Amino acid sequence: MATKKIEAPPPASPESKSQSANGSKVMPAHTGAKSGQPPVSKNPHGIPDWRLEQLPFHIESEWGDGEYRYKIVGDTSAPVPPLRPSKYLGKEQTIELFRYMIVNRRMEAVLESMYKQSLVIGELYQSLGQEACSVATAYALDKDDWLGPMIRNQGSMIVKGYQPRATMMQYMGKGDSPTKGRDSGSHYGDPKTLNVVAPISHLGDSIGVLAGVALGARLQGKHVACLGYIGDGGQSTGPTYEGFNFAAVQHLGVVLVVEHNSWAYSTPVELQFACKDLADRAIGYGVPGVIVDGTDANQVYDAAHEAVQRAHRGEGASIIEAKFMRMKSHAMHDSAHYVPAKVKEYWKRRDPIARMEQYLKEAGWMTEARIAEMHAEVERFINEERAVAEAAPMPGPEDAGTDVYFDNAVDIPVKYGEVRVKNANKNRKLSESSAPGHYK
Amino acid sequence: MATVTYLEAIRQAIWEEMERDSRVFVMGEDVGVYGGAFKATEGFIHKFGKERVVDTPISEMAIASAAYGASLTGLRPVGEFQFMDFISSAHSQIVQILAKSNWRWGAPAPLVLRGPSGGGVSGGPFHSQNPEMFYVHTPGLKVIAPATARDAKGLMKSAIRDNNPVLFFEHKFLYRRVKEELPLKDYTVEIGKARVHREGRHLSVITYASMVYVAQEAAEILQKEGIELEILDLRTLLPLDRDAIRATVEKTNRAIVLHEDTKTGGIAGEIAAIINEEAFDSLDAPIVRITAMDAPVPFSPPLEKAFLPKVEDVVREARRLLKY
Repeated sequence: MATKKIEAPPPASPESKSQSANGSKVMPAHTGAKSGQPPVSKNPHGIPDWRLEQLPFHIESEWGDGEYRYKIVGDTSAPVPPLRPSKYLGKEQTIELFRYMIVNRRMEAVLESMYKQSLVIGELYQSLGQEACSVATAYALDKDDWLGPMIRNQGSMIVKGYQPRATMMQYMGKGDSPTKGRDSGSHYGDPKTLNVVAPISHLGDSIGVLAGVALGARLQGKHVACLGYIGDGGQSTGPTYEGFNFAAVQHLGVVLVVEHNSWAYSTPVELQFACKDLADRAIGYGVPGVIVDGTDANQVYDAAHEAVQRAHRGEGASIIEAKFMRMKSHAMHDSAHYVPAKVKEYWKRRDPIARMEQYLKEAGWMTEARIAEMHAEVERFINEERAVAEAAPMPGPEDAGTDVYFDNAVDIPVKYGEVRVKNANKNRKLSESSAPGHYK
Repeated sequence: MATVTYLEAIRQAIWEEMERDSRVFVMGEDVGVYGGAFKATEGFIHKFGKERVVDTPISEMAIASAAYGASLTGLRPVGEFQFMDFISSAHSQIVQILAKSNWRWGAPAPLVLRGPSGGGVSGGPFHSQNPEMFYVHTPGLKVIAPATARDAKGLMKSAIRDNNPVLFFEHKFLYRRVKEELPLKDYTVEIGKARVHREGRHLSVITYASMVYVAQEAAEILQKEGIELEILDLRTLLPLDRDAIRATVEKTNRAIVLHEDTKTGGIAGEIAAIINEEAFDSLDAPIVRITAMDAPVPFSPPLEKAFLPKVEDVVREARRLLKY
């Protein structure tokens, strides 16, 4: 059984007024489970770091016994800190967000078993350990806001309104999948109702698209937040810079969630970029940046909520760097043997769902029994979704080559309203250009 | 009627469409106060406001992707590339996102990406190219390359009104060299339809953009020898007007395909294949391709002259085919 998403929590009125232009000011707590916020630290470049622990280790490559391998430099034994209490999420919202996380995880677990039964066609990309980041960021969006997911953000798509069957049918190449079997995995979207930009495999290419959506909406008098993701690997691409720089210079409400999941396929972050924190890039773009613990849904939500509110006020783009680890391999064929065991253990102890369960129990918001009940309910729900997906037909051959072009007889309406312009000399006539142009 | 240049025709088309439909807006490098490198949008920012005449950073990637994003909200952006050579910097956006959009996820992308292409002005290897075939090879796009002011205006209007991503290759050599009288009232030219530029009985020259005028000069020379060239101006390269190609070959039984683009993988090969499929029995002689050399576009005038197809090439090949 699917629960309908309730509206995202309304922003408390004092916060929008008191927030500084760069969005970095700490807001007063009002709905959090606990009173009092642990202090927010800053990284060496002044970027707020909301985490309650910094990574005490890094990866280096090592030569030994005639082979290269990755080794850990530092200590991985640190105890797991508690979640940072949310400044904005109340009990009901936290429980709903938690449920989305377990829906995300359960759906992928079922997909993995379907893959092993050869029901999934091609590859399967999973987000184990990333559920807090996908779900809590999307949970900060309003209905009119846009989402630009990547391959592991299927959890965010469920929050935005898709049912798990959509992703399942995509992976099975079904005719009833959102792309009619034309594309796979999370590569689907909806420009009309759910406002999700279908991702492509090329990394960073959606960021400029989200900027364009925000530009188009603003021309129609509406400030929407356009939240998209990029990985620690994907951020190396030119389109990431070009797209986000456009958003920054135009003060468009793009919220770029940099998912530092520690591995780009098999490449550790140490071989991907030279700066310590990717949030530092915010300084170069001229936008606010923040670092959060990507396994702490509260931190992730609060940062996303503030960035989204900033976008709604028309104040422009933001960067959120969420640090965590991809707990599965790049895709099913990959054994991820290159990940040192102790790194995996370190992050396994920081499982976002286990941490949230602990938080809910300590807050007195859910009992052990209630949590178990929710897991069982979600398991039944996902099984039902799987049955629907499995029963769906495969596409017919006629679907391969249709819809390449859109019908010119159909009018494409504006989404938000009439185009508005502040200053324009409407009476001006076109006169022939006499200025010299490039080349004779 | 008023006499306007090819460039002014394009300016008029965009201006009039922006007046007609508030969903249309332009974006590109230097398009605002400066009015664009070739002045295609001169004065636009004052008339339509900075919201509808968006100066972008130097990023064709951002122009293409943001134009596409805005189109998802129902707007109809016209993105300018200062030179079509720079379309390569937006290649991924165009072929991966825009072209597949409607087919993949039912998101129509009503937008135009336009700019000057072509040589003949000593622009060198990065300001003279004809990169249209990368995109003719990409289903989901429409590709236009007009030769006359009248077509430039009418096709630009059709492109802006089209519900699909349209790449509009203007020819910079023609910008101020071609002038003609245009109707004062609103008109469009249908995308996907070729135009017989000159009627003739003996041999068809199938061509587009600035090469229409090379063919025309050749036709005038050959006319004195009693050889009548028919010139078919394709105008749209994707979708190609197969009917017009078949009709002209059935009429003249001989075909030269002439283009300024390089030979290997140029559209001449595609057109030869269409003739083979649709009008093979009408042929009295082999199909001849006259194109630029398979080389980058050189800068220095003697080199560029050697590189580009010439009137004498068409004259020579026409004479040879007539004797075949």
